[in-house]
Amino acid sequence: MSSRARAAGLLLAAALAAAGCGSAAGPASGPASPVQPPSLATSLSTGSGTWAVAVMGGSAATHNNFWQLFVRPAGSGSWRLATPPGVASNGGLVLASPGMGSVVAAFRPSQNLAFSPLATTRDNGTAWSPGLLDAPLADVPDALAAAPGTGRLLALLASGQTELSGPGGTGWSRLVSQRQLAGLAGTARCRLQGLTAVSFGISGVPMVAGTCARPGTVGVVAQTGGTWQLAGPALPAADSGASVSVLRLTAIAHATVALLAIGSGRAARLAVATLAAGHWSLSPPLPLNGSAPASASIGPAGTAVLLTPRRAETVTPGGGWRPLPLPPAGTVVLAPGATGGWDALAVHRARLTVWGLAPGARGWVAGQVIGVPIAFGSSG
Amino acid sequence: MTGMNSGVNVNDPTVIAAFTSALLHQGLIALLIFAVLGLAWITVRAWLPAVTGSGGQPAADRGQAPASLPDAPLPLPEPSWRQLLRAGFGLLWVFDGILQAQPKMAIGLPSQVIEPTAASSPAWVQHVVNWAGTTWSYHPLQAGASAVWIQVGIGVWLLAASHGPLSRLAGLASVGWGLVVWVFGESFGGIFAPGLTWLFGAPGAVLIYCVAGALIALPERLWHSPLVGRAVLSGTGLFLIGMAVLQAWPGRGFWQGVSHGQPGTLAGMTASMAPTPQPHVLSAWIDAFTGFDEAHGFAVNLFTVVVLAVIGGIFLTGQRRLVRPALIAFGVLCLADWVLIEDFGFFGGLGTDPNSMIPFLLLAAGGYLALSQGPVAEPGTARVPAPGWRERIQPASIRRSAAAASFRTVVSVGALGLIILGAAPMAAAQANPNADPVLAEAIAGNTANLNFPARPFSLTDQRGQPVSLASLRGKAVLLTFLDPVCTTDCPLIAQEFRQAGQLMGTESRKVELVAIVANPVYHQVTDVQAFDRNEALGQVPNWLFLTGTVPQLRKVWAEYGVAAEILPAGAMIGHSEIAYVIDQDGHVREELNAAAGPGTAATKSSFAVLLADGLRQALRSA
Repeated sequence: MSSRARAAGLLLAAALAAAGCGSAAGPASGPASPVQPPSLATSLSTGSGTWAVAVMGGSAATHNNFWQLFVRPAGSGSWRLATPPGVASNGGLVLASPGMGSVVAAFRPSQNLAFSPLATTRDNGTAWSPGLLDAPLADVPDALAAAPGTGRLLALLASGQTELSGPGGTGWSRLVSQRQLAGLAGTARCRLQGLTAVSFGISGVPMVAGTCARPGTVGVVAQTGGTWQLAGPALPAADSGASVSVLRLTAIAHATVALLAIGSGRAARLAVATLAAGHWSLSPPLPLNGSAPASASIGPAGTAVLLTPRRAETVTPGGGWRPLPLPPAGTVVLAPGATGGWDALAVHRARLTVWGLAPGARGWVAGQVIGVPIAFGSSG
Repeated sequence: MTGMNSGVNVNDPTVIAAFTSALLHQGLIALLIFAVLGLAWITVRAWLPAVTGSGGQPAADRGQAPASLPDAPLPLPEPSWRQLLRAGFGLLWVFDGILQAQPKMAIGLPSQVIEPTAASSPAWVQHVVNWAGTTWSYHPLQAGASAVWIQVGIGVWLLAASHGPLSRLAGLASVGWGLVVWVFGESFGGIFAPGLTWLFGAPGAVLIYCVAGALIALPERLWHSPLVGRAVLSGTGLFLIGMAVLQAWPGRGFWQGVSHGQPGTLAGMTASMAPTPQPHVLSAWIDAFTGFDEAHGFAVNLFTVVVLAVIGGIFLTGQRRLVRPALIAFGVLCLADWVLIEDFGFFGGLGTDPNSMIPFLLLAAGGYLALSQGPVAEPGTARVPAPGWRERIQPASIRRSAAAASFRTVVSVGALGLIILGAAPMAAAQANPNADPVLAEAIAGNTANLNFPARPFSLTDQRGQPVSLASLRGKAVLLTFLDPVCTTDCPLIAQEFRQAGQLMGTESRKVELVAIVANPVYHQVTDVQAFDRNEALGQVPNWLFLTGTVPQLRKVWAEYGVAAEILPAGAMIGHSEIAYVIDQDGHVREELNAAAGPGTAATKSSFAVLLADGLRQALRSA
């Protein structure tokens, strides 16, 4: 055997060995991840009824899971299906209420649909009138807000841009983007990184929320007097070094409520900040202990958070966090009960079971069951 | 790898029928090639009997110089190692070609074979492979058939041509096509993927075809050199030692039969092979081996490492006394691996070759024969310089050569014809950036050819302007019904319409692409405008998206056989997907199922071609 052949063979063997010796990288060990906003599953209380959004289908394929809208009209103890027709809801539904019994539902884009059709009802979902946002709505429960009285809508887009409509939800125009906000003098202290919610303040001013790069700062920004200013609550000094994310920002009667995640990883905790009469009040923190918020419902009766692994907590304005009994299996959203207390909406494929928790009761009681006629396969 | 999957079912009867038909047609042409060549050969021999010598048997076939070519040197006898490689790899290429004719190949090869093979390779490999897979998925019939004829052609060529430049060229053809298959079909034999192991076919079966082809292409003066045998065995030995090192490398999962409750690397690989459609006894063997490896993973790997290293070491020494038993052991190992680990490689309807063990064994056996061959005396005839090319292209010389051609030469030329038969249509298809309409036909079914007046309509376009069918008279109209807030097919159909318009070229000014809203809820002008903006249809001059009041729309739907139904619970509007081709006189000439199918790049392109064909026919028929 010639030395040349030997050398060539060795080179080949070395190359093959090197090619095959790549091993999979180990798990990333970066900084603890921040708490993410909860899913679109939420409830909304209006003067004319209570609404809940839940995803149903139970399929591994997204196109076979359909988001549904349920309503329990005021004065009624029963929920009914009220999903607006005409558009596939696989991408999710986002709710907002301009008041006076009106509710706007926005369809998030999915598959080949790249914008967000809207639907408005004034009769608790019996009839819907179509509308349109010619842009893709962000995947957060507060991506749409409605101004009481005027019916103007404020939308947070998937791109980080925000758009404001004219009265009645028509004639959209660009308002401000995350990038613009990050560069403004009034918000420089925050260094806003990502937007997670939009809302209208009590006085009708547009508000935008997100995560500040600067620790200890709450990323709530309001457009007052034509300029954007930081408008969030001040946190206790103990939280000055913690990262803060606004998970939700929504208006309820005479108040604006923000659900905050303070800290990250196992040290993360939740707090509810309420802006009423020009002053913020802050709830005690709720240690997450490694769990994550799956759904958060904010209403006049308080805030209810569904956590994974299965756990539920509520907090009332001015009060402290209170654990609810272990939610029933399949619970995807909590909504205020018809006679106080809470309803847990549990989903198993195409069946919704409403469990009730009366005020002061120790356990959930199964109530109404709704079979939803899901058209499996209709979206792909 | 987005472009590789045509999205059409591998068992689609339309494509299978078309593929079978293409193969049959090309098979007839192949027969014709051989018949013409045979007739020509017989005719030339009849005209020029002198050059063929006595008895009609060509001199070259008898190992003699043709009588009319006294200066031509006598060919050296072909050594046994070369005969083995030529016949062995020739048969393998023919077998591989036959496997390429399996019905599922046309659609299944890119998505079910190439794509999974490349999936674990680095992104740049996937990028390279994706290019070829996309080309195949756009032209599945031509690509599938070309693989059949090229491989059968190379195989027949290798089998037929034993001497001379044609024989060496066959070896080079084997190298060339083998490299194409190795890069694009085998993703470089998986050598850049993390799970590389000889047991599972590394460095790719076709790379061994290439090595064999290169050996066959060696000049005749090297055929009897002992260096060939030593180089082959040494190279194989070094490679096996390298593979033993790789097999022994810690952290690759081969030492464990079970890891974290999951099968180890080898057991996982074999477990994935067992479900392949195949005789039960074979899958039972695979299952049994998987269970054995799960129980004794360390021992199996130790045995493999030791055997590979020892055999490799013996091959490296080149000592004939040791090589023979090592070759026998290697043969047993290869056969065991072929049956128990590689699972033969050609079952399941999408097997492309019998995998790497048979080629490895052939190569090693060839190396052994080359090492063992005795010295061969040079032919006695005085060797004089061969004639130059100027002399060779003289008509008389060509006539003499044709008459002196052996049967093997004629078959070799026929095999070359087979390769051209496969390569030429694929080259022509490759130049066409649009997918074949057969994909769309597979999804949409047969189109109906019609001729009746289209029902009139008067609606509003995306600019708020009134448009009627009568106002479009003089143009061919491609008409469909779309939901502006559809999440699935409608945007795809709109894109297919746009592409069909582009394919019409200068004739597009005689064409109007028309969609009518098929949603009774979202039917405002703003809805169609949003659809147009998001699908970038605003710049298409002959695109019209028409809408109207619900009663207006319902009337048109009814007249064109379109059902648009409001479905509950978050479902999209259920509506018919239908397209009409209306000629310049307002007559419906064709009705197509416009269901966009899976919406892959290949199917979109294919539908566009089908629609454009329909428009051209309508323009011609008016």
